[in-house]
Amino acid sequence: MDTLLTSCAEAFRLLFSGDADTWEIVAISFRVSSLAILCAVPPALLIAFALAYGNFFGRRLLISMFNTFLSVPAVVIGLTLFILLSRQGPMGDFKLLFTQTAMGLGQFLLCLPILVCMVHVALQAADRAAWETARTLGASRLHAFFTVLYEIRFGLLAALLAGYGRIISEVGASMMLGGNIAHYTRNIPTAIALETSKGAFAEGIALGIVLLFLAFLVNALLQYAQGKGSINP
Amino acid sequence: MIESFHLGFSDIHKRYANNRVLEGAEIIISSHDCIVITGKNGAGKTTLLRIIAGLEKPGSGAIAFDHGAAEPWGRQRKRLLRSVMYLHQQPYMLAGSLQRNIDYAARLNPAIADRAASVARAIRWAGLDGLEAQSAASLSGGQKQRVALTRARLRDPHILLLDEPTANLDGESRARTLQMLREFRDSGTAIVIVSHDPDMFADLATQQLQLRERRIHGATNRNPDVVELDSVRQSKQR
Repeated sequence: MDTLLTSCAEAFRLLFSGDADTWEIVAISFRVSSLAILCAVPPALLIAFALAYGNFFGRRLLISMFNTFLSVPAVVIGLTLFILLSRQGPMGDFKLLFTQTAMGLGQFLLCLPILVCMVHVALQAADRAAWETARTLGASRLHAFFTVLYEIRFGLLAALLAGYGRIISEVGASMMLGGNIAHYTRNIPTAIALETSKGAFAEGIALGIVLLFLAFLVNALLQYAQGKGSINP
Repeated sequence: MIESFHLGFSDIHKRYANNRVLEGAEIIISSHDCIVITGKNGAGKTTLLRIIAGLEKPGSGAIAFDHGAAEPWGRQRKRLLRSVMYLHQQPYMLAGSLQRNIDYAARLNPAIADRAASVARAIRWAGLDGLEAQSAASLSGGQKQRVALTRARLRDPHILLLDEPTANLDGESRARTLQMLREFRDSGTAIVIVSHDPDMFADLATQQLQLRERRIHGATNRNPDVVELDSVRQSKQR
């Protein structure tokens, strides 16, 4: 118990003293994960729209595939990309292994199915009349697309939070593809794993606190947005 | 005032899997028309409206604008979406206030110069003034119907399609809806109404049609459109 309390106290000291190493790890985590989700959102929205409103051969198979990808472990994504990006692999010439780009790529693939499936469900739950009303009022496809996105904004926000939560906290793919290189590819989860293995619990707890605080912050924002959007606030 | 136009649908077929909904349905819609279509549940009335609106692709058939030549479906759909407006049985209210719903329609019409004034005028026309800030989702059925018609007024379509527009409305809302539809028709907009209660629109209707056995049967009070339908058929062959 004493160890835990001492580690927690040390963790807060690290955070509030502005420890450069700790905050650098936090910055790397946010940079890579934010970029990964930003890149994943446009294709995910297009795929989700095609799956919800499209009528094409193989649509049901695609839905099943994306649902299956939801349960693929991060290490499997990491392993697959590791093989592709390693020097002997088909994408070895790009020299991406053990870079932030490789980590971002892994996180992109991890959050894409979450975004696709959750937005697809939100679109299916939404009234199709939203799209038709926009179109019949003279909206272009693009305008109608954004109109429907606004109609499902809470579902969209929930998808973004779930996707972001998945990638910012995953350790397997980041460890395999980034290599946990200090000051370069060491992010919050890989640093926690490393510090714990070294017995340096304080830094691990400090980083864990940052993750928890972030999770609380985004959920509080979501609650606030939903409260503002409700019919009877 | 809407310029004169004709829109012809000839030999329209539509099926969903093994369910044949329309087989050889034909209809001509011209400016100032008010066509009331009746039929049993599942007769294909809504499907017909959705095809006319360009929201549903017909299995086969010919569509002709002002007796012009047949065009690929993609182009036809674009023209239908541009000139036809479809109002769902339960009008869809976009998230937000009544004002946002009306303003949305005004934004999409490039012909509207002074948007704020047009929106205010349209809201007054529908008798919805004072409700601008109210959430559209919380409006009554009659008010939602009026919001939908107000959006249609700002959209200014050649053809207005309504799916059971007076279902579940009280007497006052019904009378107001009929008055608004009359104004649409008088301005040249063609109206096509699907209803189980054709008597409701007796004063308004220029044609009463029936959809049965997957075809449209006419009990029309205007000259038969044989010549016009022929020209639609010919446009398919051209």
